[in-house]
Amino acid sequence: MELKQQIRINAPRARVFAALNDPALLLQAIPGCEALTEQEPGKFEATVAAKVGPLSAKFKGHMQVEDLNPPASYTLVGEGKAGPAGHAKVRASVRLEEDGAGTLLHYEVKADVGGKLGQLGGSLIDRTAQKLAGEFFQRFEPLIALDGDAPAADTPTATAVAAATPAAKQTWGAWYFMAAVALALAAWVLLR
Amino acid sequence: MEQQLKANKQWMGARMERKEDLRLVTGQGKYLADIVLPGMLHAVFVRSEYAHAKILGIDTSAALELPGVIAVLTGEDFRTEVKSMRQPVLLPNLPAAYPEYYALAVDKVKYHGDPVAVVIARDKYTAEDAAELVMVDYEELPVILDAEAALEPGAPQVHDDQPGNEMFAMTFTGGATEEEQRANEAAVEQIFKTADVVVSNRFRVHRTGITPMEPRGVLCDWTMADGLTAWITTQRPHIDRLALIDILDIPGEKVRVIAPRDQGGGFGVKAPFFRENVVIAHAARKLGKPVRWIESRYESLMSVGQERDQVNTLDVAATKEGKLLAIRNRGVANNGTGQTGVYWGFVMPFLGQVEMPNVYTWEKGDIKLRVASTNKACLTPSRAFGHFPTRFAVERSIDMVARKVGMEPAVLRRKNMVPQLPYTTVTGEYYDSGDFLKVWDNLLTHIDLPAFRREQAALREQGRYIGIGFACGAELSGVASELLVPMENQPGYGAATVRVDPRGKVLIFGGDAPGGQGHETTVAQVVASTFGIDPKDSVVTTGDTGATPFGAGTIGARAGSYFVSAVHKACADLKEKITHVLAHDLGIRATVEEFSFINGEVIYLRDPSKKKPFREIVERIIMFPVNLPEGEVGGLEATAFFEAAKPMICFNGDFCVVEVDIKTAEFKIKRWVTSEDVGNVINQNIVDGQMHGAIVQGLSNAVYEEFIYNEQGQQLTADFENYKLATAADVPDIELSYASTPCPHTPLGTRGIGEGRPSSVPGALSNAICDALAPFGIEITELPLRPSSLWTKIKAAQG
Repeated sequence: MELKQQIRINAPRARVFAALNDPALLLQAIPGCEALTEQEPGKFEATVAAKVGPLSAKFKGHMQVEDLNPPASYTLVGEGKAGPAGHAKVRASVRLEEDGAGTLLHYEVKADVGGKLGQLGGSLIDRTAQKLAGEFFQRFEPLIALDGDAPAADTPTATAVAAATPAAKQTWGAWYFMAAVALALAAWVLLR
Repeated sequence: MEQQLKANKQWMGARMERKEDLRLVTGQGKYLADIVLPGMLHAVFVRSEYAHAKILGIDTSAALELPGVIAVLTGEDFRTEVKSMRQPVLLPNLPAAYPEYYALAVDKVKYHGDPVAVVIARDKYTAEDAAELVMVDYEELPVILDAEAALEPGAPQVHDDQPGNEMFAMTFTGGATEEEQRANEAAVEQIFKTADVVVSNRFRVHRTGITPMEPRGVLCDWTMADGLTAWITTQRPHIDRLALIDILDIPGEKVRVIAPRDQGGGFGVKAPFFRENVVIAHAARKLGKPVRWIESRYESLMSVGQERDQVNTLDVAATKEGKLLAIRNRGVANNGTGQTGVYWGFVMPFLGQVEMPNVYTWEKGDIKLRVASTNKACLTPSRAFGHFPTRFAVERSIDMVARKVGMEPAVLRRKNMVPQLPYTTVTGEYYDSGDFLKVWDNLLTHIDLPAFRREQAALREQGRYIGIGFACGAELSGVASELLVPMENQPGYGAATVRVDPRGKVLIFGGDAPGGQGHETTVAQVVASTFGIDPKDSVVTTGDTGATPFGAGTIGARAGSYFVSAVHKACADLKEKITHVLAHDLGIRATVEEFSFINGEVIYLRDPSKKKPFREIVERIIMFPVNLPEGEVGGLEATAFFEAAKPMICFNGDFCVVEVDIKTAEFKIKRWVTSEDVGNVINQNIVDGQMHGAIVQGLSNAVYEEFIYNEQGQQLTADFENYKLATAADVPDIELSYASTPCPHTPLGTRGIGEGRPSSVPGALSNAICDALAPFGIEITELPLRPSSLWTKIKAAQG
């Protein structure tokens, strides 16, 4: 399975890089992640539950960061076993590029899936990987924003997702205020 | 005499409905899965998810804790408690590097699907849940999947006791000694150097084979009184019994193997002796309860039915007049792990090379084979056993020669066909009887070639492309001991016991185990025509080692050639006795030829008033054996064996007409025509059915089916979503025709048919496509035949 995409994150590059290597944040961002602990710097153990087509799988595995080059790039290499459902080996190359006040995140993921999961068909695995990646970034962005300074006001999507994410922490008050301001501005623009 | 012949004609050659079909279509068949024993436990296998890995440990604790789980066995149980699978009874008499292996994987797993453990539980669902709880700790090892790469130095080793991954290698031509073989090679090379025309190609055929409707199963019951009774979906119960005796070390009088009366197809897949037989038998012994395993389709597609998978580098030399001179082949077969008994995978490619020369008169041949072990499932015998790829290579090469010399491929074939039999090919294969030219000429009456060429040319002007492709093949009709003993370490004779009962019914017992070929019907027809009774008055019992004479199994088209011949012989012996007693009772001196068995009566031909109903005379001999002629004793039961001194064959020729759409590269078969020599026919419906089935299987193999492994050796085609079979919509109308020569070596002139039949299909179809696309100069040298690959070739040719 190969996945190559880029996404823009509304946060400075250094913050994005730090967040991507923060196990506490990753635990919340990775869909289905039930446990994620850092054994040593750059080496993680994780348990992630995922559903691929008709198969539910609970992956237990380890990952490690290689070629750490902050704040520009790193590689994540991991492998996990999902019991009777199969196994997977993943290699993800991540590259961060400054884009104004935000960051352009390029990622390239290569995975070898084996066992019953591997037999579901490449297209199903690709679609699932895309879906999971999308979910990851949907959770990830607001989490970075919450961590520290508030972002710029024109992030209505971030606002909406933050409200939905149960793991979002602190400063709810600030968020409700920003949401109210944003809605008021929008209403003003539309009704003019 | 005329009356005798008339009686025979009534049943021989008839289009009788099969006796099996009513029970099969009304759900009253009795398959292995229908056999239920009280207290029966269920087994589910845990199989490797890696193509090549060390087994570091197996944790069965979670599985054992599940309520209802009785036991979990692993490879260690088999290594210590039971012998290895490599026993003499399961080894061919061929020199090969047979790897040691046990019923479950020990130390290493060698293919994706290798059985590692077995869970036995009170019901199947618990067993499946428990199988998911068995934790195997693997350490992955490098994987080797390509046969040619496997034979290279430095390739990952599949078996520790098989350095170099070479399972088997052989030279099939030139003679027995290395010196003779080398001289032959040089002579062949000389022919190639000086020939007018040489075609050389690398022919690749993918991994495909057979998917029987019913997967495998084993049910074992071990009691103090009877020892081991094993029901197995097998084509060779008598051989399986010997293997169980040797591997499990059980006294022979305590082992009985029963192949269920109904099996949903074998086609070779149920011919080997499998590890699962040993696992289930041993489990039943250990647990003291019956244990049953029913293979899932997933397991089946992972482990069995994979065959072909060969590369044949074939050179053909000819004169510019189209006379074939020499054939030179270097075959490499991908054997997978080689871990199945009787065949070890390589016996199939072995036979494929033997059959390579086909029916052409080559001056010389230089044919060699290497068989490589890889991390794929072991090859299993599949209909058109070993020569599906070699037949494809030869028939494509013939067409290429024809194109080079500017001759019609059909004419070039005829020019080089063996004109008179018997004949021995350059590989030493013996063709006993038949008339190839008669069959071929019959085939050609179904097409006006010049008219076709005119139509083809006219359509090309309109941008439409049609083509015609020919192929032919001589196939084994049963396997004589002369060939079967070296090839599979088993005898080839057919055996039958015929028992007449006092009510005039006939019971026939045979040691083979059919999987749906209709033996009950064909044998009943033979008995009916011999005794002058109705086919419904016969019952055929096969498959039970406790009740049938010894037979090597239902393999290689043995029934129509060996089994029915043995039946006929036994009936003939009984006719001698019946007529001897009847003549004595009638107070006349007469021989068996002077009697006619017809319409339920035995009639003295010189004086038809002297006769007796069959039912009465047999009752008299069995029940009231007094006043018998001198030397006769009562009873009417005979066992007979039939052997052919030399192997026998049947022969077929095919052509198909195809239209190719240049834009999409899709091809449509417009006509498929066959011409067959099947010897004398017993049941025309069954023969026709064999031909239809074989051609459809050939098409499905050539075009749709493919077992695919990814680079990590993960098998990706373990369900019918991914492993595509031909459907009814894909099947053309097949026009069958016959131009038979009775076989002079069987009592009824019958031939065994149907086994090798699919092998002409890829040649005929690809020849037709290449003929259609001749303006583009496209030559097909690879299977499967897919529009996608054809499209690429067309685009490349269009520039």
